[in-house]
Amino acid sequence: MYFEAESEGVHYQVSVSESKTHWKVGMRQDENDWNYFEISKEDYRYLDDTVSFIFKDSSYLIDVISKGTDYTVYTRGAYKTFNIYNEEALLHESLKAGGGLGAGNELVSGMPGKIVKVFVKPGDKLNQGDPILIMEAMKMENEMRAVSPVCIKEILVKEGENVESGATLVTFSKES
Amino acid sequence: MFKKVLIANRGEIAIRVTRTLRELGITSVAVYSDADRNGLHVLLADEAYHIGPAPSAQSYLNIEKILEVAKKAGAEAIHPGYGFLSESAEFARAVKAAGLTFIGPTVENILAMGDKLASRELMKKAGVPTVPGSEGSIRDADEAAQEAEKIGYPVILKASAGGGGKGIRVVHEPKELPSAFRTCQSEGKNYFKDDRVFIERFVQNPKHIEVQVFGDTHGNVVHLYERECSMQRRHQKLIEESPSISVPLDVREKLGEVAVRAAKSIQYVGAGTIEFIFDNKTKEFFFMEMNTRLQVEHPVTELVVGYDLVKEQIMVALGEPLSFKQSDVRQKGHAIELRICAEDPVTFTPNPGKIRKYRMPAGPFVRVDNCAYPGYDVPIYYDPMIAKLIVWGPTRTECIQRLQRALAEYMLTGIKSNIVLHKNILVHPEFLEGTYTTQFIDQQIAGKKHRELFMFVDEPVFLIAAAIEAYNQSKSRDVGDYTLASQWKRYGRQKSMRN
Repeated sequence: MYFEAESEGVHYQVSVSESKTHWKVGMRQDENDWNYFEISKEDYRYLDDTVSFIFKDSSYLIDVISKGTDYTVYTRGAYKTFNIYNEEALLHESLKAGGGLGAGNELVSGMPGKIVKVFVKPGDKLNQGDPILIMEAMKMENEMRAVSPVCIKEILVKEGENVESGATLVTFSKES
Repeated sequence: MFKKVLIANRGEIAIRVTRTLRELGITSVAVYSDADRNGLHVLLADEAYHIGPAPSAQSYLNIEKILEVAKKAGAEAIHPGYGFLSESAEFARAVKAAGLTFIGPTVENILAMGDKLASRELMKKAGVPTVPGSEGSIRDADEAAQEAEKIGYPVILKASAGGGGKGIRVVHEPKELPSAFRTCQSEGKNYFKDDRVFIERFVQNPKHIEVQVFGDTHGNVVHLYERECSMQRRHQKLIEESPSISVPLDVREKLGEVAVRAAKSIQYVGAGTIEFIFDNKTKEFFFMEMNTRLQVEHPVTELVVGYDLVKEQIMVALGEPLSFKQSDVRQKGHAIELRICAEDPVTFTPNPGKIRKYRMPAGPFVRVDNCAYPGYDVPIYYDPMIAKLIVWGPTRTECIQRLQRALAEYMLTGIKSNIVLHKNILVHPEFLEGTYTTQFIDQQIAGKKHRELFMFVDEPVFLIAAAIEAYNQSKSRDVGDYTLASQWKRYGRQKSMRN
């Protein structure tokens, strides 16, 4: 499983996989090399909901508290909070990122999905925040809105249509 | 003996007093505000009464309400703990007027020591050394400048009623003086309703040394030796120890004599502490103030001299003589106390909130005076101190080793605490050598990054634990369209990283 993590302005890419006996955790800070840790499940165990983790022969008692995408790890009087995005959260974020209309001159789909509803037609003048369309991906509906005043030029998708990531959905011109 | 005693306090000190009451067969009565219904002091007491809303002014400082509850409960005496009403002459007087016993000094004792300026004059007359300074309060910035020239820079300006870091300014150069005087005066006025300011020599490389004294109603006054409380943040104590490694034998005897003389000069009754500023170079000491109450750090004295100070307070309040004479008092070994606070270990900002995991250290010669437990919500209304870890050892070195061991056992999660700060201090050469001064935190800790303090943890541990937790959560949530997931995964990741 793949994650993006961030703590105190430092970005990490993280991969986690498990076998019957081991965890394999990979981490990569910014553009550095990947570091992999192979951890025996004997060394990382749940006692009630506290974790006993023997790491490099050092015994840690760990408590992880999660709240939304925040994960705070407490151990030995120290603590560190990571903002961790799993795939579902990443989807959300990228939809939001790709869904803003008004940044360029076209609305591009952030990922594969299905157009559920189109609110506009060519020639419509929209104010900032007006809805353009609803796109569904991973069973979530996301409304895309204009981020600045625009005039719609062309609509390249129909309701019910499946679109690939990167597909242009709507083109427009900016209104001052 | 009293049958029932009310404790007009909360937190660990209320529990500390409850313990002695129970050992003496006295019924203990707790009081609590709205914020403290789940307080451990309520859960451990024999009886508990609600006294008002969370803000202290409407609960723990509400004299009328506390007396009303004391009457209703049928308590014969009131123990004020520390803080809150413990040094309120008005409260001591009201307790007496209500026909109850105040377990503490006399109203006159509290009044005599309550005003910094007046108490210093009183001590001077009794032959107690004081820091060279202005004879009385200073009228204006010009007079402050004249006095400062006489005393010599650096000087310190203090609001007469100031304390807890408020109304205090150090001035190194004449040009800083006028603005320092103005802020000092206005803080005194705003926080303590008293705009009198005095000025004195600022002792460099200062240590905070205090002497525990005890008086009874038969005219006996003894001292129980010194405590060193130089480890402070924001002018509040963090670590206290007894004895002080910096005090030579002959000075120790002199400190004790002077403290007893000071207490005798006001016919002091009960537990009190005389605070001195100590020059570690010249080994001179100067009277700072007297605290007319039981101190937070009284347990270090208890562990070193072997007496239960709360028990002595109760016996003295009953009119009994002290259970020991000066010649009985011996310092044995070394004790250190760490204040465990719900606060950021670097910025010292209080961090109240819900505690998740909580496990206290134990083992030989380890004492924890505590008010927290797993699931306890540290209220925002009061002091963030949740526990005191006090450890005894035959020598200072063994005591510190034991403390390090005990701290390693301490587990507290869910909120920030200063446990990790203590771990760092306990391995610092200046602390180990004992040369640390009241400036230690400012000079050695302030400005550090949290990461530096977290040196006891191998860095990858944090992210490994967070990642495995995130993995487990997402696995349990997953509904399973992996094909689609793998398609958008890469795209989403890239998009997200770009922003």
